[in-house]
Amino acid sequence: MARKPVSPKDPYFIDFPKRVKSVQAEMKKQGIHVYLGTRLRTMSWTTDVFCPWRSYIVIPPQGLPTAITFVIDAARVANDSWLGEEYVLGYGPMGGQDQITLLANLIQPHLKGGKGVVGIESGTGTYLPEGHITQYEYESLQKALPKVRLQNAHDIIDLLSMIKDEGTINRFREASRIVDIGHREVLKSIADGGYKGMTETEIAGLAAHAMRKAGSEWEWSFTGGNEIASGYRTGFAAGACTPATRKALKAGEPLTVDLHAMFKLALGDHAHNYLLGPATKRQKWHARNFVDMVKLCLRTYRAGISPSSLADKVLDFCEEQGFADYMVPGFEHGIGMTGDEWRIGLNDGPFPYWTNPEHKYQAGEMVICAIQYSCPEEKIGFRYENPILITTKGCEVMSKIPLAIEEI
Amino acid sequence: MAVKKFKYLSPEWAEEVVKRVNEKLTPEKMKHTTSSMLTVNTNCPDGKDRAVYYEIVNGVVKEVSIREGKMPQAEFTITADYQLFARISRAELKARRALMSGKMKLKGPLVKALKLSPLVDRLNEVIATIPAEY
Repeated sequence: MARKPVSPKDPYFIDFPKRVKSVQAEMKKQGIHVYLGTRLRTMSWTTDVFCPWRSYIVIPPQGLPTAITFVIDAARVANDSWLGEEYVLGYGPMGGQDQITLLANLIQPHLKGGKGVVGIESGTGTYLPEGHITQYEYESLQKALPKVRLQNAHDIIDLLSMIKDEGTINRFREASRIVDIGHREVLKSIADGGYKGMTETEIAGLAAHAMRKAGSEWEWSFTGGNEIASGYRTGFAAGACTPATRKALKAGEPLTVDLHAMFKLALGDHAHNYLLGPATKRQKWHARNFVDMVKLCLRTYRAGISPSSLADKVLDFCEEQGFADYMVPGFEHGIGMTGDEWRIGLNDGPFPYWTNPEHKYQAGEMVICAIQYSCPEEKIGFRYENPILITTKGCEVMSKIPLAIEEI
Repeated sequence: MAVKKFKYLSPEWAEEVVKRVNEKLTPEKMKHTTSSMLTVNTNCPDGKDRAVYYEIVNGVVKEVSIREGKMPQAEFTITADYQLFARISRAELKARRALMSGKMKLKGPLVKALKLSPLVDRLNEVIATIPAEY
């Protein structure tokens, strides 16, 4: 059974059959007979379902695709997807039901005389659950389909998913609204000395509870869900990854609260910072630097700029203001439906599978504005993250918590 | 009195399967299932491949027939060596175990197959009661 059809009037409606047709049109242009997707981002973008197990999508030249996932989750995926159970298969350790046999059986009917080109998703990435085809899968598939040429084709999905449609953007707005609920709950709990005796994990948990109550499906990040850091942990050298620990919050220390929510596979990601009072003059100086720099960054985003031109402008400002030493020199990371969390744009930069620093932003693209300020020698750091929608004249900042570093 | 033996994969054996299965397995026990299954026995003693086609409608086995040459379409196709199927029909081996070993291949939706596997076990248990010559 597939889920009930979503009305095109629904604010979160995405035309998935249209997405598939756009992939098929691109396949035709590139002479690809069948597209085999393995990346989590491809599964999310085509099936509209969270696929936590190793999964595949086989897109034929025409008609509906078939998703394959671990049998223990196949019925749930069919239930949650627009595809329905005929187009969702389960694999398992049984004769004829292993991944490679199922893939070969699905691909074979679309090849003339067993010959043809199959698009695959090969590469590397910083993000652990990326899901590129493995060497074993590649070799086994080639053995099962000896006359087939396996051709790397992930650019098709990367290109088509770059500009976000209205339904996707609305999902992101809702995910950010939920993240803001988490932030308000954290502030309520830590204010007026409420933080005393609390640990980072506790903060992560109470935010998660509030966001789940508001409809979040998952604190999606593989960086440990909600990332909470206090004291020296806010300022690791060149660091921007802080899974919550059992460290207790202490007066006089900074606190970074980086929350993640997921709504219909769209990702909320907002980091807000505090100074647990009493704050020193020097801490407040760092805080002002950070807020000024984030403001400048957000004012700068618009279609036509590139990550490197933005970095030049913001880093020049940091240098002028005397705090360039504390900057981690990167200001954003990519974002899309779950699984699409790192590279921005296409794989066309000087370092394969990293963001092209000269990528020209276009209206309708989304990124996470992600800025880290780190001063390990003073045991202080701040992080800003917020999903932004690039527009022709600026950007829409999705999390609405006012930009500030409050002294609690 | 000598017990009548049926030649495995003969039309008489197939008739006996229908008779015994419908006697012993009620539609309730068969969960009112509607499905079809083809078990392809490769390398039969005469060198041929031979299949058993099962058609089940609302929990009643409507047809069990022996097929050669062009095979009918079925929801599930299970392929294995004749000797392996013979072992299953003598209840020496569970079908599930044979599938897990990779010696038996299943074509068809795995989710539904797993749901139906207790029914197939019941079916095989009844088939195993048929005295057969291999």
